[in-house]
Amino acid sequence: MGLPTNLPRIEQFVASRFFCICSHYYGRGSRQRQQVQHTSLRAYNVVPPARDSTEKAMMDRMLRVDHAGEYGANRIYAGQMAVLRRTSTAALIEHMWDQEKQHLKTFIELMAENRVRPTILMPFWNVAGFALGAGSALLGKEAAMACTVAIEETISEHYNSQIRELMEEDPERYKDLLELIKTFRDEEMEHHDIGLEQDAEMAPVFWLLKNTIQAGCKAAIFLSERF
Amino acid sequence: MAALFRTLKAASGGSLRCLVSAHRNQISKVERSFRVAAVLRLSDESKQEETPPHYSSSYHKHYQASAPEPETEFKNTSYAHQSGEQEEDYETEEQLQHKILTAALEFVPKYGWSVDAIAEGAKTLNLSGAAAGMFNNGAGDLILHFVMQCNSDLSDILSEKHKQIQLGQIEPLKTDKFLREAVETRLRMLIPYIDSWPQAMSILLLPHNVPESLKHLSTLIDDIWYYAGDRSTDLNWYTRRAALTGIYNTTELVMVQDSSPDFEETWKFLENRVNDVMNMAHTAKKVQSTGEAVVQGLMGAAVTLRNLAGMNQRR
Repeated sequence: MGLPTNLPRIEQFVASRFFCICSHYYGRGSRQRQQVQHTSLRAYNVVPPARDSTEKAMMDRMLRVDHAGEYGANRIYAGQMAVLRRTSTAALIEHMWDQEKQHLKTFIELMAENRVRPTILMPFWNVAGFALGAGSALLGKEAAMACTVAIEETISEHYNSQIRELMEEDPERYKDLLELIKTFRDEEMEHHDIGLEQDAEMAPVFWLLKNTIQAGCKAAIFLSERF
Repeated sequence: MAALFRTLKAASGGSLRCLVSAHRNQISKVERSFRVAAVLRLSDESKQEETPPHYSSSYHKHYQASAPEPETEFKNTSYAHQSGEQEEDYETEEQLQHKILTAALEFVPKYGWSVDAIAEGAKTLNLSGAAAGMFNNGAGDLILHFVMQCNSDLSDILSEKHKQIQLGQIEPLKTDKFLREAVETRLRMLIPYIDSWPQAMSILLLPHNVPESLKHLSTLIDDIWYYAGDRSTDLNWYTRRAALTGIYNTTELVMVQDSSPDFEETWKFLENRVNDVMNMAHTAKKVQSTGEAVVQGLMGAAVTLRNLAGMNQRR
């Protein structure tokens, strides 16, 4: 980002927030535009080409909400890292964040290959995700872990329901996509377990935190599928 | 439905042609040609004794046959006149509609975007002009068909170019040049119909046509951006498409009242609009980098002040 890293934590936090807002609106798009005529790095497309408009609509909806979910998870971990950078849990959060970055990269590729419309709520998830991550981290390390537990539980449930939907449709046809979603779901479950190990349940009003965050997450999934 | 159109064809080839036109005038707004066929059947029954003997027996057999059997006698009389035209017995309704509308396009300069053009088009396919009644939306159907045809032609052209670029046969264009060329190619498809295009545009603005015309427009713009290389997955997806939609619509409006040779003014206008959008994007990037620099400067000043005040030491 070009930020001097010897700045005190709060100034860095504010500066990086400002940069993120600007670059997400304009920078990322033009950087992506530079990758104009490349085909995907993979030799095949994980998603089979749609046979009719209903299948295309279903695929679009699934990819759109998964992309939005991974993007939001990225922003949440970014928020947590911004606050907890100098603490002992930083390494763990960094590890989980790296895996989310991989997931997001995969979904961006799938979106581009299948010409899927991204959700129009992207800027909102950008801000809301970072705010949630930073807010929960400011309440303490256990609250940050509680946030992780809540999010990852909802995301795993969501992936499970997508797996069920694809299995009901045609397990053979969507074999590769099912493999992918299963891998991602397993990694999200792993994050959930890490969160529990790290004393998430010791967070202040854990049950309230968990339920509010899960309700918000489910609303986000509902909206991203449609808009 | 197939039996229906055979009926219509048979009718047009025989002495009932005058009956068809008479009934067409009476039932000018008939919703479905089924009603036309029913009327033909009634009139045929009433006029049975008047028809020449060598036709009546074949008509009898035709109308009374419940299952559609190819009447060989009939086939010779009606199909013999259609040189080079394929058997249309098992054609779907959609394919037939497509054929009629495509044929109707050549009558648009004369009859405008109207049901009359569709009727003339149907006649060139040796169907009765009443076949135009099968289109509930009339002129709207014709225009939407034309728009869809143009969009898919453009998509074919763009994908062909894209393939050539990937094979390395031609150089990729810069974004603004690509957009200008794509929009110009698409708008040039309107040139044969440019005189009646304002009528078509106003019909597309009717409330019942708006959803479908918007769908065609969004598919067109998405195609152009996809082949221009846009693979964005954030808000840029929306801003780019909104900008190009604006460019396309305004250029189309300029084109319909442009009287310069080969629409030079329109292409100049298009070039200016595309340059405007590119400038806006560059300005936005500059604002962002200026903002970054300003924030860096402020942060640096804050750190300096903290150092001077001695607040930065870790105790």
